[in-house]
Amino acid sequence: MKCGSLPHYFSIEDIFATQERLPCKFVVPVHRLGFLDPSSESEDIAVGTTVELPYWLAKSLCCQRRNIVTVEMPKIYKEPYREILKADACVVDLHKFGLFFYEFGTYLSQLEHRDSVAIGSVLVQTFKERFRQVMDWAHNSGTDPLIIQRLDSLEKALFQEGYQTRAQLDAWLNKGASQITTAEMVINYKKRKLAVLDDL
Amino acid sequence: MNPEEVEFIAENKNVSIVPNFNFDRIYLISGDVGPFRAGLPVQVPIWMATNLRQRQKCRIMAPDWMDTEKLEQVKEEESQSRFFTKMPSEHYMVEAHLLLGVAAEDIPHADEIRTILKDIWDMRMSKLRSSVDAFIKTGGSYAKLDHLTTMEINSIRPLLPHALDELYKLQKVVRIFMSFLKNITLQNEQYQRKVF
Amino acid sequence: MESNDDVALSDEEPVTAQKVLQSLQEVWLNEKFCPELLQHQSDLVDCMLDQIQQMEENLRKLKKNDFRVVIHRMELDRIRYIVTDYLRIRLNKIENFVIHVLEQESSRNIEDAYLSPPELKFAREYITLLEEHLRLVALRHMPTNIQDFDKAKVAVTPNLSSHVFLRAKQNITGVVIEGDNENREEEVDLDENSQHIMQYKSVANYLKAGAVQLI
Repeated sequence: MKCGSLPHYFSIEDIFATQERLPCKFVVPVHRLGFLDPSSESEDIAVGTTVELPYWLAKSLCCQRRNIVTVEMPKIYKEPYREILKADACVVDLHKFGLFFYEFGTYLSQLEHRDSVAIGSVLVQTFKERFRQVMDWAHNSGTDPLIIQRLDSLEKALFQEGYQTRAQLDAWLNKGASQITTAEMVINYKKRKLAVLDDL
Repeated sequence: MNPEEVEFIAENKNVSIVPNFNFDRIYLISGDVGPFRAGLPVQVPIWMATNLRQRQKCRIMAPDWMDTEKLEQVKEEESQSRFFTKMPSEHYMVEAHLLLGVAAEDIPHADEIRTILKDIWDMRMSKLRSSVDAFIKTGGSYAKLDHLTTMEINSIRPLLPHALDELYKLQKVVRIFMSFLKNITLQNEQYQRKVF
Repeated sequence: MESNDDVALSDEEPVTAQKVLQSLQEVWLNEKFCPELLQHQSDLVDCMLDQIQQMEENLRKLKKNDFRVVIHRMELDRIRYIVTDYLRIRLNKIENFVIHVLEQESSRNIEDAYLSPPELKFAREYITLLEEHLRLVALRHMPTNIQDFDKAKVAVTPNLSSHVFLRAKQNITGVVIEGDNENREEEVDLDENSQHIMQYKSVANYLKAGAVQLI
């Protein structure tokens, strides 16, 4: 993922983020779309049926102009989880709830939903709280690579950038001035020579 | 930008050398250097100085600030201040790295200087991380960065600008929605006024 | 071997090659850190390329073991790096934002064109190839009503809200920055030589007028 740029037509992350699914409840009957609900054998969709739809589809079905479904927010964006995130955002494994916590959340908060503002605010708050951790992990050479599995894709991208910068800087700081290390090939060559001597 | 490019920029700065040869003025595109008289100090760009030194054609003279006493004072000030203090050179780390790298024998107390500089650098890096974190927490998008050197700025790029960019995008959504809600409430109020 | 003769840039006072090189270095860094494509500086580039060529001819006249050869060669390599990196960064931006760049360019007069003539040629050829490619691999297989190549829809645009590091080259008062809540705006003053981080859009005009340097 490329940080700092705007989402655009060819952005694969943007495409992924907008096809994350969310529960939608039909408020009007829809003919011939019964196949969308795998648990039903009916040809039509009845009022009250709940189906998980990708965001891009849900958005066009729940606007004021065309009120066909009402959307429900995915678990991580609902009040109980929002409270957990407010209490201590750093301990939550965001990755477990989807790859695009922030991007998907941004799209969700654009839906005309009563929780929109609350979701938007919790995204901002969570990002701010967790940033120090992301930066410290990126700047600390001893970071366990597995720990970044707990980051969402945006945080992971920022981590990668920070990590790369630090690695370059370390390489530069250690260049020349510090001790010159023997190339591995030379060490192995010496070892082989010794081994040959041992054989004699 | 990678550290080598910061180094590249810093290499344009001048440093004094004492040549061990005689030569006339050289007309470089970036300006004249010389004439060179054996034993007489002359100013040349760092890229040239390091090359001449590697070819054993000169001795490098430490810049004024590359002195243990002066640097101890810089270190003391840096540790006493909550903010970044002004460094004796805008490329202090690069200059030291380059000059000590090729000419440690020419510079008195080279090892001590290296240690003090490393202490100053580490102190500033940890200050930098704390200020970056505090800056993100305020949610602002503007900050003054006085006395930060190019290499230090480069150490938080692209992480800091990109984090700010992303934070701005998140905040903007909330902002747009708030004003949208406000408009709706306004419209409702107007509507109610008409009714009553 | 004098190479520091005055070099005349079109319609301007004569400047030294040294000055041109300094400007080119500033222009290079601005282009490197700027999210959008800046106005081309072919005058500076051409001038430096001339200098390089002249110097190479002069060097050919020198003996191989002349003390100066190594030094001049090093300097030429350094200048060549700046020129090539500068042009490469621009090509990168042109490719990335090709639709947007050509769209903006079409509303400009020749005298304030942002692309140099070769860059404009490159951009036009690139967009033609891109469109042909998309047509060949995808569009022609689509239903006829969605076969159009809608440039406006697929255009990638630079993020002018992105944050940049900068140094003020002179005192600037009243730079407008977006406040942190709602649509409130704030103003800040920048002292000469002070350093800042802020959104590119706040300083874009000052950058184009030469009042700030990106760092």
